[in-house]
Amino acid sequence: MKDRILATAAVLFMAGATAQAQERTLTISVYAFAQDAYAKIVYQPFEKECGCKLVVETGNSAERLTKMEVNKAEPVIDMAVMSMADALSAARQGLVDKVDTSKLSNFVRLYDIAKDPNQDGMSVGYTFYATSIAYRSDKVKITSWNDLLSKQLAGRVALPNITTNQGPPALYMLGLAMGKDTPDLKASIDAVGEHRNDIVTFYNRSSQLVQLMEQDEIWAAPIGRFAWAPLRKLDVPIKWATPKEGQTGGLNVMVVTRGSKNRDLALQLMDFWLSTKVQTDLANALVDSPANKDVEVSPEVAENITYGAETAANVKLIPSAVELANRENWLSEWNAKVQQ
Amino acid sequence: MFQNRAEALTLALPAATFAALVFVLPVIVLLSGGLHVEGRWTLEAYQRFFADPLNRLVIWRTLELGALVTAAAAVIGYASALAIVDLPAAGKSRMIGLVVLPLMISPVARTYAWLVILGRAGIVNKALMLIGLTDEPVRVLFTQTAVFIGLLQLFLPLMVLSLVSALENMPNDVIPAARVLGANWLQIFVKVVLPLTREGLVTGGTLVFAGSVTAYITPAILGGSKVLTLVTLLYQRVTIANDLVSASVIAFILIVMSFSANLLLNRIATGRSLK
Repeated sequence: MKDRILATAAVLFMAGATAQAQERTLTISVYAFAQDAYAKIVYQPFEKECGCKLVVETGNSAERLTKMEVNKAEPVIDMAVMSMADALSAARQGLVDKVDTSKLSNFVRLYDIAKDPNQDGMSVGYTFYATSIAYRSDKVKITSWNDLLSKQLAGRVALPNITTNQGPPALYMLGLAMGKDTPDLKASIDAVGEHRNDIVTFYNRSSQLVQLMEQDEIWAAPIGRFAWAPLRKLDVPIKWATPKEGQTGGLNVMVVTRGSKNRDLALQLMDFWLSTKVQTDLANALVDSPANKDVEVSPEVAENITYGAETAANVKLIPSAVELANRENWLSEWNAKVQQ
Repeated sequence: MFQNRAEALTLALPAATFAALVFVLPVIVLLSGGLHVEGRWTLEAYQRFFADPLNRLVIWRTLELGALVTAAAAVIGYASALAIVDLPAAGKSRMIGLVVLPLMISPVARTYAWLVILGRAGIVNKALMLIGLTDEPVRVLFTQTAVFIGLLQLFLPLMVLSLVSALENMPNDVIPAARVLGANWLQIFVKVVLPLTREGLVTGGTLVFAGSVTAYITPAILGGSKVLTLVTLLYQRVTIANDLVSASVIAFILIVMSFSANLLLNRIATGRSLK
């Protein structure tokens, strides 16, 4: 009896192993937010189309880059999405391959800004976002980035940590508001250091802000438009500021890992993700602002995301090379002035 | 128990091999990462780490938090344990059940609850304002105080359980005997209870201290990036900077801290008993 059970188990195990070997698997690494929506709009339909299995890892851009560095010799992921600067860093370290855009039928539909953001052919933008300040309109009024450090917001404001995608752009705009248009961000880091006790926390994930706003801990914080929808659903009046210095933002890109054994499948997923249908569905779910210029959405949806050719052209982006050249300095300056 | 030593050693071999392979060896590999940099043995990584004022601040803060949490846990722990051991059997097991209960809830859920409780509109601030101690909400979240409260709640049960078991092993008549001989409660505690329960205090104290200095979730959620501790700094160094050398240095400091705490507690407890 025992033998028979063992034999059956062995047969089942081997059958399972063969079935697994036949099914192709694509491993991707993405941002952690809105995974339910991504599963419905991107992952599940794509699995049906390719007849393959998607394995999804999540984390923030910097964590992902570190993981790719660690696994350089034996890449674990086939395709990843990250910030523009991290994509340039990955390209410089030889972690990613050139994107063969001839295999992307939807490439021609992209806004120019998204086609080759780092001008090295190693990445393609799939969503861009504006970054401004979300604030409690019943408590304060925000017309400038300088207002973040004003008296009325002392003890009521959260700022992005310097290591997040939102950190450097927000500090850059704060510097602009102070009349300092320099890439070293020294003026704004000094100012934040002086006001460090007025700042409730330096957040690492935008999702933290929903709870902080809801619990009345904070009245204002710089955020990316992708995190705006859940804030609007709260029971408190929250507005999106249009500061006189303008809005900043970022572009998220897709990359293919060098040495990936599933490069064609990765490109197929990229093309699928950039298609007008998927980009429209993601916009309507208020997940990602489209990089595909053929996407059309209702005015209500447009109000919640970063939408349109004009907006795309006006988002002030920090060039990736500038960010990479200054990152280490920003961090040590930040650690010296703000963390102590 | 065994006829010969060889038999006993053979029996211990599987466990010893397992511990060597999955614990001792990885720890050696991990720690050598901070000493073996770019192909040579050097203390540079340690010098660099200690030269940075931010790192020194973080080490000090971690030590301070660990010591404060351990001290507070010992004070509250003795009070609770003394109350619990005096209860009749049924009441005692009910109380121990209550002490253990928080250990069954995920630390993430417990820590998130503190976010609500300690917030501006939370129950603590409401109570403070109700009794007139403050006119407007006090900021507790994202301060060292919040991390202290979170860690104390997380690790207090370990101290209470260690002390209850130590007090149970203490002969029943020593306290009445000391009373008869004219000792007051403070003398009884210092000269009788403390020496007789020192092993419980050392065990509980080591668990609480080691737990506090190595906890990640509580300082990450309640302290945020404004109240960095060694472990949140370690996480930042690895995930953001891929700086495994600093991570190894931090791991070594944490191990030294835990061992020193154990030695120190042992010394304090033994010192008392020798007097």
